[in-house]
Amino acid sequence: MTQMKMSRRKFLITSATVAGGLSLQLVPIDAMAATGKNGGQRDSALSPWLTIQADDTIIVTVPTPEIGNGASTQQAMNIAEELACDWQRVNVEFASFSREYKQPGSYAVGMQPFFGGHSTDHERMPYTMQLGASARERLKLAAAQRWNVSITEIEARNSVLKHLPSGRTLRFGEVAAEAASVVLESEPSLKPQSEWTLLGKTKPHKVQLPKVVNGSAKYGVDVTRPGMVYAALRQSPVHGGLLKSHDPEAVLSMPGVRAVVVIDPSATPGSPVDASPTFGFEGSECRSGVAVIADHYWQAKKALDALPVEWDDGLGAFWNSDEKIHERQDRILDRWAGAPLTKSGNVDTVKAAKTIEATYRTPFCEHATMEPLNGTALYTEDSLELWHSTQDMQQAFWVAVDESGVHPDRVTIHQTMVGGGFGRRVIGDDVRAVVAVARQYPGVPVKVIWSREETTQQGAYRTQLAARFRAGLNEQGMLESLEGETCFSGMALNLGFTDMAYAFSGAIPNVRLAASNLPMHIATGAYRAPCYNAHAFTVETFIDECAVAGGIDPLEYRLKLLADWDPAWSHCLKLAAERAGWGKPLPKGQGRGIAISNWPHSGEKQAGATVCAVAHVEVSQEGKLTVHSIDFTFDCGRTVNLDAVLAQLEGGIIFGLNMSLNEGLTIVDGAVVESNFDRYPMLKMADIPEIKIHLEALSGHDRFAIIGEAPVGPIGPAIGNAIYQAIGKRVRSTPFRKQDLSWS
Amino acid sequence: MTTIKFTVNGQAQSLDIDPTTPLLWTLRDHLQMTGTKFGCGIGMCGACTVHLNGNATRSCLIPVQAVDGADIATIEGLSESGDHILQKLWVELNVPQCGYCQSGVLMAAADLLKRIPNPSDEEIDANISNICRCGTYPRIREGIRRAAQEMGA
Repeated sequence: MTQMKMSRRKFLITSATVAGGLSLQLVPIDAMAATGKNGGQRDSALSPWLTIQADDTIIVTVPTPEIGNGASTQQAMNIAEELACDWQRVNVEFASFSREYKQPGSYAVGMQPFFGGHSTDHERMPYTMQLGASARERLKLAAAQRWNVSITEIEARNSVLKHLPSGRTLRFGEVAAEAASVVLESEPSLKPQSEWTLLGKTKPHKVQLPKVVNGSAKYGVDVTRPGMVYAALRQSPVHGGLLKSHDPEAVLSMPGVRAVVVIDPSATPGSPVDASPTFGFEGSECRSGVAVIADHYWQAKKALDALPVEWDDGLGAFWNSDEKIHERQDRILDRWAGAPLTKSGNVDTVKAAKTIEATYRTPFCEHATMEPLNGTALYTEDSLELWHSTQDMQQAFWVAVDESGVHPDRVTIHQTMVGGGFGRRVIGDDVRAVVAVARQYPGVPVKVIWSREETTQQGAYRTQLAARFRAGLNEQGMLESLEGETCFSGMALNLGFTDMAYAFSGAIPNVRLAASNLPMHIATGAYRAPCYNAHAFTVETFIDECAVAGGIDPLEYRLKLLADWDPAWSHCLKLAAERAGWGKPLPKGQGRGIAISNWPHSGEKQAGATVCAVAHVEVSQEGKLTVHSIDFTFDCGRTVNLDAVLAQLEGGIIFGLNMSLNEGLTIVDGAVVESNFDRYPMLKMADIPEIKIHLEALSGHDRFAIIGEAPVGPIGPAIGNAIYQAIGKRVRSTPFRKQDLSWS
Repeated sequence: MTTIKFTVNGQAQSLDIDPTTPLLWTLRDHLQMTGTKFGCGIGMCGACTVHLNGNATRSCLIPVQAVDGADIATIEGLSESGDHILQKLWVELNVPQCGYCQSGVLMAAADLLKRIPNPSDEEIDANISNICRCGTYPRIREGIRRAAQEMGA
């Protein structure tokens, strides 16, 4: 498979000498033949993927931003597996999309379609592993030539080349320069998985951690440039509103203040060439606002706070309350007229013994990345340089081109460390605002920092949605029909809903799932496992209600519905239940609940990561909810770095906890009410239940499914279902902290 | 502008500065010490935690005039070469994810261990009130427990 993919994509590995060492590039053959796309000029500069220096230092260049999931470490591991190098000497640097633009295919083609995403993807592994293998063989051949021996007598291990018959050795670095000019007859084939020594066998910590723990890691907000100034900004509190008036004179004489600039969405210059942003420009548009530029951030912020500003709220003010949003959603759902997405059988002709219907709601949620939005840009009339903690450098690059009007040949982007992403730093509205400000203060590097309040109120939120389900149960209590409609605002993805396993497992003869849209003005975007993060709750709560209505244990009910599905789902359910003591009696006010989901599987078996949680909760009579423990099982096929997987599971579980217990933005008169952690609470150390992750449901199926998003899903519904078992109250919306859980 | 004098990681500093500037921005903008992070600006998240005269303090709420004459320690000064036991364990146990909050967490944890060498879970809960959006809390707890063990051994 590995070889096929390499040959189908027609890649060449080319080498060069760099600073006395060896550097390898991946070059697509068709890109070599073609003139540069995007109007870019062919360019002979290096776009190295892998560099081995004379002092044995290994530098792996990574196009994937590091948002904390270990993506860069994973790519380095893939290369190191074949390179036979000393892992301690491996360093990681971020590729720049500017190189990709100037030499199309340097980093993007055949890998991921964009400079974001998941470097752990199965598809990316062969390329990176081939790089490692190619470098190793070149080093061996260089040593063979130096010693005048056969390459078959040379072993590479731990960055040392050894001539086995004589015992002579050379370090990688000693022959790296020579290795750059040797010619391989053919690229070596890759080791079979059974011979891997690093992948799946070791679990190294993330390579950047030494810099993180001593404070030297540079996130976007840490970028410092000579002569840099700072900007603080405020944008229309009602998204889509416009700046009506402001009075710069009131603040221009304040200490350190240099300028007050307007962010005007209609002033975007536009890209001078055809642009290819990963996700298009929709959602990246400027938000009308104003920024104060000063010598220091505190001066800019003080002046901004003192700046008189008036807004024209625009049409968004129509949405005066959450109740109004819900009422309009219900009006749409009452019609059961959404566009059908999934259909089998005929739900209209079913004669059910029992019918149940319920509506679920999940609110707008803010990513709340710990690093507030920010960016640094230096604009001149004919160039732009940008430093940014983006999650997608290709998107950021093109947004920067579009907002500066500068030709992409003269736009340079620098990827920094990312202080939390979760989808917030994808679409590039933050990049655009930074460039819009810097463009008006040319010749000087400007660092633009959103306050926490501005970050929170100018989000690109998880969309709020409602989902209504109607089920017909037969005499045995099982589902004869399932109808569902989700009414959402914003991104039309519907993952976790249209692809719910229950609709594909064959256990429900009649299924109809539909979607409808409630257009709103509030900016939405990707949020850790888009749509799925909400629908895992709506689907798994409704299935639980069906089980209760059918008089069947919720675990047994799911096992029946999934009997002909990927068996790993049943294994996950059974193992989590067993480990959590499912069925053992609990005191009044306590309960267990179960939920299972998968991301991403698109209705396929043995795909994505299947995740299952059993929550054990206690609810006091006053309604105080305590989550005692989460037993968690999963199947992502196999793992290449188990500790990295466990870290993502722990983090995802806690993210799912916070999302379900705490998170929900309130809309009043079109604007978001919450602005900081005082009203948008985050779980802390003391709030974390016992989390027990069990490994034994891992199927060993030949896939390394991405794992960072799936665990967010089943936590909320498991807790909600446990609340029902504890007190008999069914919770149909999140966050749970806003529900009345009192009982007597 | 006022002249404020204090020490940071043992080095004397003298700044002509707006005395209301929070210590956080003083460190970051005026001294280019960016290891101390801006998270919320209202003292809730703890990303900006430093040691003020030896005690863990949220630097976003302290105006620089309040630290005139004080000794400040930041993440850059937690150890000579990144080898404080917590820093070593943080790497070994793969504690950070995005890592942004961890300077503050480390400063809070170092302060806790100095005051309570072998903290109970309840004492950890009560003293580490930092926010970590990535959800590294279980590993933070494990790191503090391990550090307490190794320091006691």
